[in-house]
Amino acid sequence: MMKNRRNFFDIILFTEIFQGLLITIKHFFSKPVTEMYPYRKPRIYPRFRGVHYMKTNNKGESNCVGCYLCGRICPSECIDIDTDAGPNGERLVKKYTIDLSRCIYCGFCEEACPADAIHMGKKYNLIANTRNNYVVNMKYLVENYRGEQ
Amino acid sequence: MVEIKIDGKSVTARKNATILEAAEEAGIYIPTFCHYKMLAPFGACRACIVEVKGSPKLFTACTTPIADKMEIITKSPKLAQLRKTLIELLLIHHPLDCPVCDKGGECQLQDLTYEFGVAKVRFDEKPKNTPVDHSNPFIERDIDRCVLCGKCVRICDEVVNIQSISFIRRGTNTYIGTAFDQPWHCEYCGQCLSVCPVGSLNNRVYLFKNRPWNLTSTYSICGFCSCGCTIRIDHEADEVYRIKEDVDKGINHGFLCVKGRFGYELINSTERKDVAVINEGSEKKEVAVHDAINLAFNKLKDIVKNNNSKALGFYISPRLTNEEAYLAQKIAREYFKTNNIYSSEVAYAKPEGTFKDVEDSDAIIVFNVDVTESNPILGLAVRRSARAGAKLVVLYPSFTALKRVATEFVTGKPSDLYSACENLLVNLNTKNKSEDNLSEILKNAQNPVLIYNPYNNNDLYYVKKIKDLLPLVKLLPAKLKNNSQGIADMGCVNGYGPGYRVVERGLDFEKAILNNELKYLVVFGENLLESTIGTEFNNIRKKLNLLLVIDPFLSETAKLADIYIPVSLYAEKNGSYTNMEGRVQTIQKAVNKSKLSDLEVLIKFYEMAGLTQFKDIKDIRIAIENDTPLYKGINWEGGLIKYSEVIIGDFTKYKLDKDEKSSNFILYPEASRLHSGTFTRWSDDLNKVYSEPVVNLNPIDAKSLKIGEGDRVIIKCGAVKGIFKTVINEHLTKGLATLPDNYSTTIGFFKNGPYCNVNIIKE
Repeated sequence: MMKNRRNFFDIILFTEIFQGLLITIKHFFSKPVTEMYPYRKPRIYPRFRGVHYMKTNNKGESNCVGCYLCGRICPSECIDIDTDAGPNGERLVKKYTIDLSRCIYCGFCEEACPADAIHMGKKYNLIANTRNNYVVNMKYLVENYRGEQ
Repeated sequence: MVEIKIDGKSVTARKNATILEAAEEAGIYIPTFCHYKMLAPFGACRACIVEVKGSPKLFTACTTPIADKMEIITKSPKLAQLRKTLIELLLIHHPLDCPVCDKGGECQLQDLTYEFGVAKVRFDEKPKNTPVDHSNPFIERDIDRCVLCGKCVRICDEVVNIQSISFIRRGTNTYIGTAFDQPWHCEYCGQCLSVCPVGSLNNRVYLFKNRPWNLTSTYSICGFCSCGCTIRIDHEADEVYRIKEDVDKGINHGFLCVKGRFGYELINSTERKDVAVINEGSEKKEVAVHDAINLAFNKLKDIVKNNNSKALGFYISPRLTNEEAYLAQKIAREYFKTNNIYSSEVAYAKPEGTFKDVEDSDAIIVFNVDVTESNPILGLAVRRSARAGAKLVVLYPSFTALKRVATEFVTGKPSDLYSACENLLVNLNTKNKSEDNLSEILKNAQNPVLIYNPYNNNDLYYVKKIKDLLPLVKLLPAKLKNNSQGIADMGCVNGYGPGYRVVERGLDFEKAILNNELKYLVVFGENLLESTIGTEFNNIRKKLNLLLVIDPFLSETAKLADIYIPVSLYAEKNGSYTNMEGRVQTIQKAVNKSKLSDLEVLIKFYEMAGLTQFKDIKDIRIAIENDTPLYKGINWEGGLIKYSEVIIGDFTKYKLDKDEKSSNFILYPEASRLHSGTFTRWSDDLNKVYSEPVVNLNPIDAKSLKIGEGDRVIIKCGAVKGIFKTVINEHLTKGLATLPDNYSTTIGFFKNGPYCNVNIIKE
């Protein structure tokens, strides 16, 4: 076997470095691959599953009927619902909270919902200073729907 | 026995059994929908259709009796197709609002739809949008969801015998409703909603509060009346959501009454205290429960130290469990050295008959007690027995719900009733056949049962006489509270130790407390303001040196207490109750509201006293079994106690009151199915229907006094006076009026006995 000996000129003229630089320089002029977050927002695909939102009717009332099915199917048990009978004997959702820090964004709640109410949104930036602030309520979810539209 | 074949398996079943019963016994499943164990076969839904070899016709398994060598097929493609079509047809009118329907998750229609694999309905949906009926305070009625299985109609007729709902119209226009579509007011027992297979009849107390899959069930015994019904407590996160029944368990065959089914919200009441209250002169201080227990014990200890035990009394409520009552009287007798153990219960009337005896009886006497109101489940047993052919004799001042099934119903003023009794006694005494129907019924009966009110001395005189003349008759005292029998057995009656062992008698309660001989009083769960000393209690309180109240609620008495300790309720503790037939049944802890039970308070007392320690229920039960021959070797999960001397003592005859002439009405106490004292009044749902004591009057009397329904009247009896709302009741006998006796405002009238001559005038 012959020893792979490097070319003398390659050594004194740093050819390999320039070869490497050439690749770098090429990329100066090609399209960027990196997400330029937060200066540019990433592209969101239609089936993206972000922070939930709650659909409403024309009057702005939530579509949720309080059937407990989303809470039942939730694998991380982060949905907490409380219902009661309303003044006219209707089903009234007293409390609807999602713990977003526990949510695994699987989208099962959206699938289980019989009333076209809970949906996975496009929103993803979610920062809170305490753990409790990750627990969002019905008002937040309905406002999210306005943001989604 | 008949030999048949079901799905190729040979089965022997009893003659006249239906195909369904035979299959159930053999463990073969046949889907059912309108079938209910406690009701007669109906065959409305056709879900149980089966094929019989050799017959082109299909048979409904629930109505067809088996015949010899019958070969039955329960599963075939033809049957599957038919059952599927059946559900599809039901789903034409049934709205698919399962997400908002309260039945979702435990709905029989949902289950069958799943089972038969109905994914799509081939027919056009024709949903009606009838508004939901909210006229009943406890039952929501959504007619659209109804599948006309008829279970509610049948149970209201066959079991409850009130017939408040029925099928209306025919064919596809049929619906379940009240006569002439009036607002739905009934006994509110809720039997109909317990059998509804769909969400047509819903519990309004539980309505939309939770979903069945979130709930955990605990079997226990109801803590209201003395029937001792088995209940299923459905709870989640230490909150009781509803009380359900189980048709296979307990003496109640899955029936419950309004209190048991709808009164449970008092467990979740926000009015319950978490801290003890100490009354220091003018101001009230809230302290931790443990500190209050320490303080209470030290005060009690000082009484013993200063040799004041004679002036110390214990008043024990029949709401306590057997174990609690036993420990309470034990520590009082052994450590606090007092014989002043009191309760509202009696030691001279003990049960002999059981619910089973009532159901199998051929002659029942209901003597001066409205069982349908005071003990509704016993009332159901009486009605079912009477419908099945037993002769029923009722003696009561006015007509009750038993009127529909009674063979003989004697009404009238107390003097009329008791003279009828005298007459009965005379006729029972003669050997010859008499004209009197009552005595003939009794004489010819094989296993007669006598249900009576053990708290009425005048009644007991006649009950004892009847028992002496007819030893065959089985006595069943209609006791009031959940453990009325148990605390008497445990020795919480003055002069009687555990197992009715005669002990030294303490001071007479009423006399002693009025003469200020009792200076220190410990009250376990009783509201003394509604006892016979209720009217004077505010004065008595001022003379008492110590009033310690241990009660689940801050009752009227607890508000006056020096020390008030909050304790837990029947769904929050373990123990046992003895019901009115002498059956010992275990209660289970379902929820934890972080409160001590009476038992834990008593165990703390034991610890501080340095006496033998009882660690848990088992230890106490061993002690009870050793101390009480009655309970020796008893099965704590439903064992029946055999009492000897079921009625002893001397009782007084009813004497006509001299004032009867000068007053215009005779007032007698009325039992209410909605309230059994202060305890049930903590339930807001029961208060919605019955919030204040009302006086019942006959329409003729009301007319002559110019009183209308809902008017307020003044009732006067000597110094006792009260203003009450009127209800006009056509079943009431003329010249009589009723008031409940378990209110602090009404107890004054019944201080000297159950009848009071009063003057009623319009306010």
